Amino acid sequence: MATETMSESPYPPVAKHNLARSRSKTRWIIAEDPDWSLALVPLLSQLCLQSIVKNFEKKPILEELGPDHKDFVLERLSPSLPLHLTANLISDDGYWKRCCNERWELCDVSKYGHSWKRMFFERHLENIIELFIPDLTDPKTVLDMAPLCKNYVKRLDISQLLPPIKEPQQAEEEDDSDLTCDSDSYVTSVDHFDFGILLNKLTNLEELHLVYRVKHCGMNFEWNLFEFTTRDCECLAKALKACKTLKLLRLHQSKVEDEKCRLLVKSLLDHPSLRELDLSYNIIGDRGARAIGKLLNRSKLETLNVCNNNIRGPGGQALAHALSKNSTLLSLNLRLNCLGDEGGQAIGQALLNNSTLLHLHLGGNEMSEPSANALSKVLAHNNTLKSINLSCNRLGKDGGKALEEGMSHNTTVIECDIRLTEVDQESSVCINQVVRTNQRKARKKQAQESKTK
Amino acid sequence: MLGFSCSWNTLTFLFMKFSSSVRLPRQELGEGPCEEEVTEEARESQLQVEQSERRMINLQSDGMELVTNIQTAADAKESGQRTEEEEATRLRMERLENEAKCSQQKFEEITRGWEMTKQKTTAQELQDALNSQQQQCAQLLEDKAKLIHDLQRELKARDDCYIKDLKKAAEEEDLFIERMESLIKTLKKTYREELDQIENAYEHERRVLLTANREKWEQYMKDRRNLELENLTQRLNKMEEYEEMLEKLRMEDAEEYNITKKKLDTHVQMLRLQVQQKKASDYLNQVVLDYNYRLQTKKEEEITTIKSQQKRKMAKMQDVMKNLKLKCANKEKQSREETQKLCKDYKRTTELYKHKQKKMRHIVAVDAQEFEDVWLMNEAEVRQLVERALHIDRLIYEQQLGLTWERPHTAFMKLSAQEDPEKPAQRSAQEAASQLIHTGTATQASLGMEEGFLIEKKLPKLLSTVEKDEQMSVKLAAVFSVSACWANFSDVSHSNSTDVMCSCRSAREISAPHEPSFLRVAGRDNSEDAAYWESLAEAIPEVKLKLWDALHDALQKHQ
Repeated sequence: MATETMSESPYPPVAKHNLARSRSKTRWIIAEDPDWSLALVPLLSQLCLQSIVKNFEKKPILEELGPDHKDFVLERLSPSLPLHLTANLISDDGYWKRCCNERWELCDVSKYGHSWKRMFFERHLENIIELFIPDLTDPKTVLDMAPLCKNYVKRLDISQLLPPIKEPQQAEEEDDSDLTCDSDSYVTSVDHFDFGILLNKLTNLEELHLVYRVKHCGMNFEWNLFEFTTRDCECLAKALKACKTLKLLRLHQSKVEDEKCRLLVKSLLDHPSLRELDLSYNIIGDRGARAIGKLLNRSKLETLNVCNNNIRGPGGQALAHALSKNSTLLSLNLRLNCLGDEGGQAIGQALLNNSTLLHLHLGGNEMSEPSANALSKVLAHNNTLKSINLSCNRLGKDGGKALEEGMSHNTTVIECDIRLTEVDQESSVCINQVVRTNQRKARKKQAQESKTK
Repeated sequence: MLGFSCSWNTLTFLFMKFSSSVRLPRQELGEGPCEEEVTEEARESQLQVEQSERRMINLQSDGMELVTNIQTAADAKESGQRTEEEEATRLRMERLENEAKCSQQKFEEITRGWEMTKQKTTAQELQDALNSQQQQCAQLLEDKAKLIHDLQRELKARDDCYIKDLKKAAEEEDLFIERMESLIKTLKKTYREELDQIENAYEHERRVLLTANREKWEQYMKDRRNLELENLTQRLNKMEEYEEMLEKLRMEDAEEYNITKKKLDTHVQMLRLQVQQKKASDYLNQVVLDYNYRLQTKKEEEITTIKSQQKRKMAKMQDVMKNLKLKCANKEKQSREETQKLCKDYKRTTELYKHKQKKMRHIVAVDAQEFEDVWLMNEAEVRQLVERALHIDRLIYEQQLGLTWERPHTAFMKLSAQEDPEKPAQRSAQEAASQLIHTGTATQASLGMEEGFLIEKKLPKLLSTVEKDEQMSVKLAAVFSVSACWANFSDVSHSNSTDVMCSCRSAREISAPHEPSFLRVAGRDNSEDAAYWESLAEAIPEVKLKLWDALHDALQKHQ
């Protein structure tokens, strides 16, 4: 009995047997091991609690226990207990911490709002979805999980979505006709995991990050592993419409082009809670940009990130048009698109009417002097814009001078990035000076506000 | 990258919070007693804090710039590559298009060639045609193969490029991580340094403050000790004074106490005696009151019996009263009827009286006129007679006796002129008096009107000595007496004059003492008239009459 209790202690037993048994050096308590006691026969309560722990699966008794006994049982419960039992029963984070640590190596609980339970359920659900193979995996596994974790899942960061497995057709390669008719007849019901069955059940979901790719495919690379098909898009659009609590949608690196973008935007129009949309690293073009522009004014979007897409001048103009009428958007990221001067000037024009945008990233858009002139006007008149990034555009000396001119009238921009814009040294120095003064002012204001509070 | 920036932000945020939170208590302290010193020192440490803050911010921004330079460089490269890519795709597309065009042309040529060969029949020509066709096909294929080869080369080059890019990306990532880590290290180090400096500054401030405060404390303690000593000595002095005062007061109080005690004892004894007396009197009073009470009760019994009797009597009386009331009512009715009758009679009589008065007036006026006429006639007769007499007398004197005749005095004949103005006055007075009598009341106003010409001039003087009420009655009496005197004077119809006489009598009764004077006053007229007639009668004196008689006799004898 004594050995049993000793073996569960987290501290290394230091020759306890000898210590305990030698009469001349009998220790009554061992400070390093709080669980060790001289009593060779454990208390009846201990025995009961141990049997509760052993038989927890068949008969979960937790709420009826007193606080000390509850802690004892929680410390000893096995992390591999079935979730349908523990999900709504155990709310002690210590247990979930053990579960997380056992399952995954790297656990940063601050990313999950300091809740181990939330981390566990989110990662567990992400895992299920990431390993879900359509037509092979039973959707029931996902559906069973939904009611258990709907109270705890706030964010789903899914880093891969598996396509359905096509049976190896190498044997039939010789027979072209069979191949074609086989590939024709082999039609899957869904191309990827259908979020429609899940999203409307997760009532607390606020963030959804999706990538339609397969990780670690290595040399088995095939383009169809990275396909975000139209059917997927339709299912996703329907699912998003049903999820009324979603605040952030991130669909990146999934080869989303104009048509799919338009489909998604259609279902996101007038969404009650969507605040952040990230469609970066896709291939959205001008038509998609027009759809997104429409979405800007028909929702409460605060952050829009479409960096590294294919938006050109007309797309930029559509977005600018939406921007001039918009009053909710706070941050716009158009980095690495191909807006050019057409788009840049349009956006500059729109910002003269806009007074809510705080952050604007226009890096790497092949803009040049005319855009700089338009933006310098914005800098002179706008007093809400806080950060503007024009790096990697060939603005040139004249563009730099225009920006310097605009910045000299500005008092709110605290971040102005003009690296690699071929701007004159003097201009960049002046601009940086203005930015620094603005920063100081902002800091003073913040310090005053915190003092008055 | 995101994670790094998050932890970065938390670090800076914590630092800012720390600096601001450290700043605040200092400022609160600054409001203490020794403001100037503390604020100066607070400024010093604050300066330090601000300095550190600035340094850290600069360092952080530079570091971040360094770190993000990598991304910016990548972006620049990417955008450059994209332009190149576009250019390359454009060229490729052009090339493919050209190629497609050329091959299409060639294909058309070949097909044309086939058609031409169909026309040819000779084997040689066919052979030549076939050769040329083959050549052309081979050419076409060659071109295509070349194109494919070029494209494949390009593809391979791009693959190599891709691998290079991957390697470069890996290198950049490593560089990125390296830079991030170095930045974190430098920032940590500088934060620690800055923190140490700030701590030193605060420590220094604290020490200075502490010594200053300690000195102040010592000073205050010394002052306090001195003050305490002073207070103690003062207190001791005061205590002695108070003790003396207390002793004095105690003695005084003891004496007073004895005196008052004696007084109060005597007072008490007096009061006790009084109490005893009162008790005795009370006892007596009580006995008396008991007796009285018994009497009263008996009296009450009697009274109740009497009351009952009286009640019975009252009931009876009430019955009697009722009867009497009934009788009275009847009587009243009767009297009312009588009065009504009498009123009617009265009205009738008054109307008659008025009528009679009018008549009387008329008659009076007529009588007066008659009287006047008679008077005048008589006067005229008398005068005539007198004249005749005088004439006769003259004749006698002149003819018979041969003496001079003298006209006797005729001054008395002027009296009639004096009386005339009185008559109309009297007449009007009589009218007014009759009016008064008719109305039955004499108001002051009417009196006031007649006062002027009714009453003699002497009367107001007399009245002024009398009270107003009596004046009124006196005036009434005067009025009535005037009318009465007139009535006395005339001998006209008696019914009116009796009324007047009644009222005058009543007035006279009121004004008894003054009566004689009035009568005397009024009587003058009568006496004057009598004197007048007398004088007229004596116009021919007795002597003359005797003479005449003698003459008459003589004449008679003659005849």
